[in-house]
Amino acid sequence: MDFADLNDVEPIPQDDGPEPVCSIAYSPEFIKAYDYLRALLKADERSERALNLTTFCLKLNPANYTVWHFRRRCLISLSAETDQTPAIDVERIEKDLDFADKLGGTNPKNYQLWYHRRALLEFRFKEEGDILQVAKKELEYVDKILDDDSKNYHAWSHRQWIIKTLNKTELWSSEINYSHSKVLSDPRNNSAWNQRWFALHEGKISSVYSNDRSAVLSLEKAKEEASYALYGADLDPFNESPWRYLVGILMEQWRSAKRGRDADDIAKVTGLIQENIGKIREMKKSWEEKRPNDHSSGSSASLLSALVDLLEIFTDAKESLTEAKALLGKLMLEDPVRRKYWLKREKHITKLLVSIEQKENNAV
Amino acid sequence: MSAFSSTDAETGAIGPFHDALHARYVVELGHRLDSPTSYEGAVTEHLRMSGVYWSLGALSLLRDADEVDASMGLRGGVDGGGEENGGGGRRMRRAIVDWVFDCRDPRSGGFGGNCSGAAFGVGTPGTATTTPCPHHGHLLYTLSALQILAMANALDDERLDKDAVARFVSGLQNPDGSFCGDEWGEVDTRFTYCALSCLALLGRLPIPRNDGEEEDDAIVDVRGAARYVMSCRNFDGGFGCVPGAESHAGQVFCCIGALSIAHSLHLLNEGRDGCDADLLAWWLAERQCDSGGLNGRPEKQADVCYSWWILSALSIVGRVSWINTSRLGQFILNCQDDEDGGIADRPQDMPDVYHTFFGLCGLSLIGHLEKIGNREGRTYREVDPVFALPTDVVRRLGLRAQVISYSNGDVEDRLKMHSILDGTKASLK
Repeated sequence: MDFADLNDVEPIPQDDGPEPVCSIAYSPEFIKAYDYLRALLKADERSERALNLTTFCLKLNPANYTVWHFRRRCLISLSAETDQTPAIDVERIEKDLDFADKLGGTNPKNYQLWYHRRALLEFRFKEEGDILQVAKKELEYVDKILDDDSKNYHAWSHRQWIIKTLNKTELWSSEINYSHSKVLSDPRNNSAWNQRWFALHEGKISSVYSNDRSAVLSLEKAKEEASYALYGADLDPFNESPWRYLVGILMEQWRSAKRGRDADDIAKVTGLIQENIGKIREMKKSWEEKRPNDHSSGSSASLLSALVDLLEIFTDAKESLTEAKALLGKLMLEDPVRRKYWLKREKHITKLLVSIEQKENNAV
Repeated sequence: MSAFSSTDAETGAIGPFHDALHARYVVELGHRLDSPTSYEGAVTEHLRMSGVYWSLGALSLLRDADEVDASMGLRGGVDGGGEENGGGGRRMRRAIVDWVFDCRDPRSGGFGGNCSGAAFGVGTPGTATTTPCPHHGHLLYTLSALQILAMANALDDERLDKDAVARFVSGLQNPDGSFCGDEWGEVDTRFTYCALSCLALLGRLPIPRNDGEEEDDAIVDVRGAARYVMSCRNFDGGFGCVPGAESHAGQVFCCIGALSIAHSLHLLNEGRDGCDADLLAWWLAERQCDSGGLNGRPEKQADVCYSWWILSALSIVGRVSWINTSRLGQFILNCQDDEDGGIADRPQDMPDVYHTFFGLCGLSLIGHLEKIGNREGRTYREVDPVFALPTDVVRRLGLRAQVISYSNGDVEDRLKMHSILDGTKASLK
């Protein structure tokens, strides 16, 4: 950049004390560009040349939030005004999305880049044209980023924002398939599991409203999701994500049934949980048979913990609690890092067992 | 499953701690960033406010307030080094407090990440060559600015227009209780924490009344803020940046810290799905990797900064003992640079001030700094897990948040200044 069109601007140097800034060996261009930018910022000059200068400055340092902020102000000022509400011309939006894409490369960790896309799209979604198509194109962009970094938090948040903002059934349903494809390529991708929960619950596709107006899956859907979680866990029982998903799905049903106080509902959910407990026991057994000599890896803390969580739901069932207590003893040995946590849970279950025994004795 | 036996975990002695190197690393960092040839200085220019807060925070855990003031130049100018740049003689650096006030954005009322260009505060005292030209006000930097002023005991400085800052913060709250970070309207639970912490530091936070009555004249809706935080809780017990977003340990701190400042931790055991403090704490405990370090999400690498984000949240909910603190302490110590000082994100990496501060915070929260101090005849200041400031500063300012006691009803000494929620009842299990 030769700064020729800025020759009427008095640059504001950085306040560096006695040493002259120009003697800097590192990058005179960097300093010069930011000196001009400070001058334009101070004068609040929102012009085409100011926009070009932000382009240059952002290429030098894409994390500077004030430059992005100033760039958007320029874009708004340079666009045609509509009913006095701030807007950015569609063409400029498309161009700037492209600019942000190129600047970020294949792995934009920098938060400002994501936020800029979102700010531009907020304007874009208000304009005429096939908005769904704009959204799909943006989802493709995010997919490209996730191909490179499948757990990029900003990218997943950006997907959620697009889908939620447009709120179209088509996008919600396709997101479940998308999450599935990501689980298949890496079952340990927790972001993909979270996305599945997000699409099912927030999209209100298969959920019903419970009495406190929060979205809860229907029993039938919950059954499917529990099977899905176990399918994921079976691929790799040491993977934390499907176990948390499974317990999340089943606990949601249990809490909802308990709140509703309908005996029939509670019985149905109890059946569903028992069925899953049975499946986990089988999985545990077959895993132990596969690895008979390696006792420490014969069980996964995630599997055992999920089993304990479900067994513990039945606070007055002696057999369930006894089984849970034994599992906690195993966890204390095999997962010493969290020994105090398991110990605390074991104490709690022991207390429950003692009170059951007392009741039995009193009854006798 | 871990290869370590449970006895190893209990007996580990604490390894070497490079106190003097870390102190020097932090003090000299300021000079290095100021150097006009510093690339690091140029690209971190816009967030210098947070960098200064991390530096001061780190040094404050190692040295007493007077020493920090003298070596960092909090209230008065300080020798800014400069010989290595070949300039004529050494330079004086302006007082940090003066520089903070230059970073106030008069348009918004908040503080920006820096002012008048790259260097923070370099120049002859009282002879700034340019008019301050701050970055635009943002909640992140407004909180860092107030935290710096708190450590410098300068919150009553006449240049601080508390009403204007409080108006800036309250203007960023949305009808659903959430907060934006700046006028551009990005919403994130990080900003809820920043907003509530700022107002607490300014002495302007309306604490919700227990009688259920709403205050009409409150500048922010604290209950709404807490409700929004709860809407970001996930099925795994953790919290994300907005409703539906994946649980992330950094966001967990912000959410638990916000609930703590809002005296609303009881909400953890009420909500729609009944996920309670135990489920959250277990999710946090599961973040401990075989290396002893903590990660921020499942299947991610351990990183020293999570020693802060996770331990602070576990401290607030009274469940630090659920992780193996001696193994974590060793992990943090393994991340020290034993030649030049500073702490890195993981062993063998380059240190930086962010990880240095949060590594020291982690060592403080698990009691390692205290043990090291006993071993070496020093007294270290402690960090407060809610406000991320030394506990003596929190006490001096009379800041009061809420914490949950251990399951036996006891509470760590450093937390006794806060309101205590009975942990014996905090569990639904």
